[in-house]
Amino acid sequence: MYNPYQYVPGSSLVHKLDPRTKIITVIAFSLVIMQVKLISLLAAAAFIVLCSQLSRIPAARLLNTLRPVMPFFIFLFIIYIFFTAGTPLISLGPVQITSEGLAMGVLQVGKFILLVLAASVLTISTSATTLTMGLERLLRPINKLGGSSYDIAMMVTLALRFLPTLLEEMNNINEAQLSRNSNLSSLGLKGKIRSIVYLSLPLTLNFLRCCDELADAMEARCYRHGVRTFLYELHLTPMDYYLIIMVIITTVLCLIYL
Amino acid sequence: MSASNHVSLRSMIYAALFGALTAIGAFIVIPLQPVPITLQSLFTCLAGILLGSSVGAMSQIVYVLLGIIGLPVFAGGKAGIGVLLGPTGGYLLGFIAAALVIGQIVRMKRNPGLLWLILALVAGNLAIYLLGITQLILTTHLSVYQALIIGLLPFLPGDIFKLAAAAWLARMLYQYFPFGRQAS
Repeated sequence: MYNPYQYVPGSSLVHKLDPRTKIITVIAFSLVIMQVKLISLLAAAAFIVLCSQLSRIPAARLLNTLRPVMPFFIFLFIIYIFFTAGTPLISLGPVQITSEGLAMGVLQVGKFILLVLAASVLTISTSATTLTMGLERLLRPINKLGGSSYDIAMMVTLALRFLPTLLEEMNNINEAQLSRNSNLSSLGLKGKIRSIVYLSLPLTLNFLRCCDELADAMEARCYRHGVRTFLYELHLTPMDYYLIIMVIITTVLCLIYL
Repeated sequence: MSASNHVSLRSMIYAALFGALTAIGAFIVIPLQPVPITLQSLFTCLAGILLGSSVGAMSQIVYVLLGIIGLPVFAGGKAGIGVLLGPTGGYLLGFIAAALVIGQIVRMKRNPGLLWLILALVAGNLAIYLLGITQLILTTHLSVYQALIIGLLPFLPGDIFKLAAAAWLARMLYQYFPFGRQAS
């Protein structure tokens, strides 16, 4: 069965950090990494290795998260090495690989890979619920601008709850249609559009009823907008404050001097 | 008080539903050459048409947040804030903009016909491409021409299919979303 969650429970130092600290670190890391040169790429890579070691995440688990992004990155790499002007390194008939192109390709694709790995350390070491709470706290300033971070957190939590049910529903619809001899892969152009419609229409309609029932149930239990409290509140430890300050100082220094 | 301050509970739940549906869309793969179709942007379009611009955009924010907290709901099973800040992240921001644009255009008419829906959908898709390709160029330093080759061409056939399917679906589903129409 498909497992949508990347989270691996643990009790390491990284696991214990407040989600806000980790989110801020990843955002700061991504700001810095977009500026780095080829040599500092190694330093950034060392930072990721350090974090993954500290969090005791199995390396295979971490590298696994790269699999979905690799096709695009390889494609991007090819574009870089073949279509960057500069001194030719190797000539393959009409096309040539330039040294500038190779350096550019390694640098850019390396950056993106590290970016994805950094985010993966975050999501592997933090459960979806904790991350939602962390995001909610970070989004609090929008409450002053007329939005509601509580509403957003509630919607993300609801969507998290909907996902497995929707997947199951989708499989049911798929099996029901297969048992009635529908074959989505062998259809023509018009059939493809029809197959999209025949899958999404029942999926949406079946769920509308669930949504209405949920709304009634929540209203019956007096759900209302406004400030909300949580069963488990997040607490920033002195360690978290120390790290956040360190991260901000390092980021500012990197952005100035790189 | 702005209207977005008092989103009804029902529209919040519908936004959560369409956020989840957009996420599910990433798992529905329909084979097509050269790039297979996944259905996220279909549900983005539907959210814009059926929920209106603000709730529709909210549903797409929920979708992006689902990806940020680590669910593999971005195209091809990608996840994490790294994708949002990376080269293809602009398309995700484009989803939010598309729902806004589509919602706005559809609401301009009391009873939008098929042509008007298609116009709105085309505008929404343009918003996705515009933001997506802008971020692609900014992060990768590719030329505009190169960016169009990898960021636009492969997706065009699939998006035309999705556009047709979205218009068809929206016509059938429109009657079930009464609150979307009276909201301004």
